[in-house]
Parts: sequence; structure tokens; C-alpha cells
Amino acid sequence: MTREKNNESGLHVLIVDDDRDDLTILVDSFRSLSEGRWRIDAVDSVGEALQISKQGKTQLVILAVNTPVLDVSLLLSSFSQSSFDQQQFKLKKVVMTTMVTDEKRAASLAAGADMFIEKPLSPEGLKVAFAHISELAGWELPQDFESGGHSVALADLIQMECLARNSSVLELFHEQSLGRIYIEEGQVIHAVCGELSGERAFQRLFILTGTFELHDFEPPPERTVNRTWETLLSAAARQLDSLRDHSGTGQSSGDAGHHSGELDYQAEEMLICGSAGEVLYTWQCPDAAGRMALLQAVAGHAGKIIPEIQLGKLDRLEIQLPDGRAILQPRADRMIFVGLGNRNRKT
Amino acid sequence: MKENFKTWFAHLPAVPGMLACGVRRPNGKCAGLGDETKYPAEKIEKLLGHFAEQEKLLAGFAPRWTTWAFEYCRLRFVLRPDKCLLLLLVAPESEAEKSLDQLSREFLTIVVK
Repeated sequence: MTREKNNESGLHVLIVDDDRDDLTILVDSFRSLSEGRWRIDAVDSVGEALQISKQGKTQLVILAVNTPVLDVSLLLSSFSQSSFDQQQFKLKKVVMTTMVTDEKRAASLAAGADMFIEKPLSPEGLKVAFAHISELAGWELPQDFESGGHSVALADLIQMECLARNSSVLELFHEQSLGRIYIEEGQVIHAVCGELSGERAFQRLFILTGTFELHDFEPPPERTVNRTWETLLSAAARQLDSLRDHSGTGQSSGDAGHHSGELDYQAEEMLICGSAGEVLYTWQCPDAAGRMALLQAVAGHAGKIIPEIQLGKLDRLEIQLPDGRAILQPRADRMIFVGLGNRNRKT
Repeated sequence: MKENFKTWFAHLPAVPGMLACGVRRPNGKCAGLGDETKYPAEKIEKLLGHFAEQEKLLAGFAPRWTTWAFEYCRLRFVLRPDKCLLLLLVAPESEAEKSLDQLSREFLTIVVK
């Protein structure tokens, strides 16, 4: 990004958080990550925040208050109307919340927030948030921060971009460019990795090692991804778990969590059909016509119930069998049936 | 499991991320619990009716349970051998979603009077 950086005199930051423990974590983390060059005022009440804001020094305000939507909107409006927001520099306003909702996001952005993100709770999350906020404020990250980019999880960065409804391009490097992920208004719309594109490229980028950079958004040559970012990240996480399991470096299968059971399955059959029902790919499928009929019936059924209740589009149907699973994905452009058997099945 | 079914069912909405739940008894009677604004009981009951039909379509698989992953929520249906059908409607990536298998197993073993 080619933004003028703002490091010479440090950055005056005001952090407002009504949870004192979280406030301490935010202040300590950001002070450390900025190598002491963020001049941070930390308060736990809105009244104190407005008092400090009147001094006219604050360049960046981070609101992490756990107040209703209306209060956050009023607070943002107060900051916007205060005198220092009319000065030579534009006050940057970031809203952090532990409960991300569309309503809060829309209200915060409408009230003048420049960034809306989920409150980071982990060291990695704090690091990613710090990088994003620094970029927003035009503050150059310390050099060793960038060289430590390996540890900033790609998944965290994508999540942060998507939750904030940002538009950007993530580029992964290892000596040369390995691939790109295009995010538009919080949705992953395209991914490319070598000759791969779409979801396969997205998944591939997750298993490669390298550094990544965030660029300003530019329209991609095509749109190849249309699943939600949550689904994409979930699939990528499962893929990583699976790879770790195969390489013997993963957690034991006895670990808690709903993903662990998935590692006990292996594919036993697969069918991919086009939208008109034509078979595009089949592997060990004993009854392709029956599977296709089922996929069509499931798609039809899902279409009928959607008006009844706000469910959104059907992504997949998972059938838990006594000794395996079946996954049906009846999408508009293609329909997929995958049968999975239990690896540890007693024969 | 000898826990009273009504008590077990009544506690389901307390699981974080549980949006609604419902049960359809073998005699066709339904009961629903959840956010009355977004998921009123009559809609939950209608949903149970829809999927009771759908379960017939899947009968050849003898499923232990089915999970419909929609954009905004997950629907878990568990059909017992006595034809008692449970619906759990949960938010994606929530505690309730992680608990789906455990709750389904409990439903399969609990005594429904």
C-alpha cells in the first residue's frame, strides 16, 4: 500500500474499554507491539473518553465498549463532532466487539467508524488487529514485526478482513508470488495459486509456507469463489488437521471437538453431476442414478422450506450412518455426493 | 438414561448458540422451543413436518441423524426407532453446533414418555 506513514512523532491513541482486564491486555499488547511508540490513553468510561478527546491530541480511538448499538453510534457521533476531528488530521475510529453482528457493523460504520472488527482475544489475534489498525492510521509497523509475519495466521487475517467487510487482495510469497486471494466487501470472491483457481487454489494457499502481504483491492480477472468465508476457512482448517494427522504431527484422535471424528473417515464413493443432471465424474459409485435423484430431491426440498424460515442457502446435507457418513452438496451449478466409510470399521 | 425427557428438552435452549429446538412424537404431536420472534413454535412444528417427510426419502440409508447446513444455521434431525423426531436449530460455529453429536446421542438413549 502506498499510504503516507505517520511514525515520526508517535501515534496518540485512545482506547476505551469498559472491561478493565481487557483494557489492560489491549494497552499492554499494543504498547509492546508498537515498541512503546503508541502514546496510549486508556479509559474505561465513555465520559472520560470524551474529556480526553477534547484535548485535541488523539489521532486514533479504539472503542471496545460493551454497550448497545445505539450507544456506540452516539459515541462515534460525539467523536466525529468534537473539535479535534475537524483539525488537519482525520481522527480514525475503530470499533471492537466480542459480539459481531450485522446490525452492530452497519450501525457503527454508518455512525462514522473507519473499521469494525472482532475484539481479539489471542496473542495472534492482537497482532493481526494491531497490523490492521496501524495500516488504517497510516502508522508504519516496526521492521521486525513484518519479518515475523509467518506467525500471523493467514486464517486470522482473512477473518479480520471479512468481519470488517473490507476489500483487499492477499498475496502469498515464497521467493516469488505463489498466489492471491481477493476479498470484496468481506467476501472471498476469487483465489488463484499457480494454475489452480477457485476453492482449490484457496485450499492450496493454506498448506503452502511463505509470507503474505495485504494490498489494496483491485478487481480480479474472474470470480471463482462463491461460498461464505466461514465455510472456506472451516474447510481449510479441516484440511490442515487432516494433513497434520497424516504426517503424525497432529493431535490425537481422542481430542475433543467436532472435527476430530472426521479424521476417522475415508472416501469410498463420489459422484459429481452438472446442473442438468449429467454425470461429470464418478468414482466407485454403485448407484449413480439413485444418488443423483436423491441430490435433486434434497435440492428441491431445501428450496421449498427456505421461504418458511430464514435459513439462507443450503450448503450441504450430512447424513450420519451407522458406519460412515454421506455428504450431499446440491448446488445450482453442480451436485456432489460423497460417501465416507469409517477407517476403523470392524470387518 | 433415566433423565426426564421434558427436563432434558427444556434445557436445550440454554446451550449457547441454540436458536430453537423441537420434537415430533410418534403420534404426530409437536412441541417447539426457541426465539418466538424469529423461530415461532408453529414454524418449528412445520419444519418438523417437512423433514419428517424428508426422512422417508433417506430411509434407505438408515441414518442415525442428518445435518442440513444452511447459510445462517444448522438443522440437526435425529429420528429414533420409535419414530420420535428431534430438531435442533443452531448457529454455525457455536457451542451448540459443537454439542450436536452429544445431544443427538443423548436423545437416542433418553426415555421419552
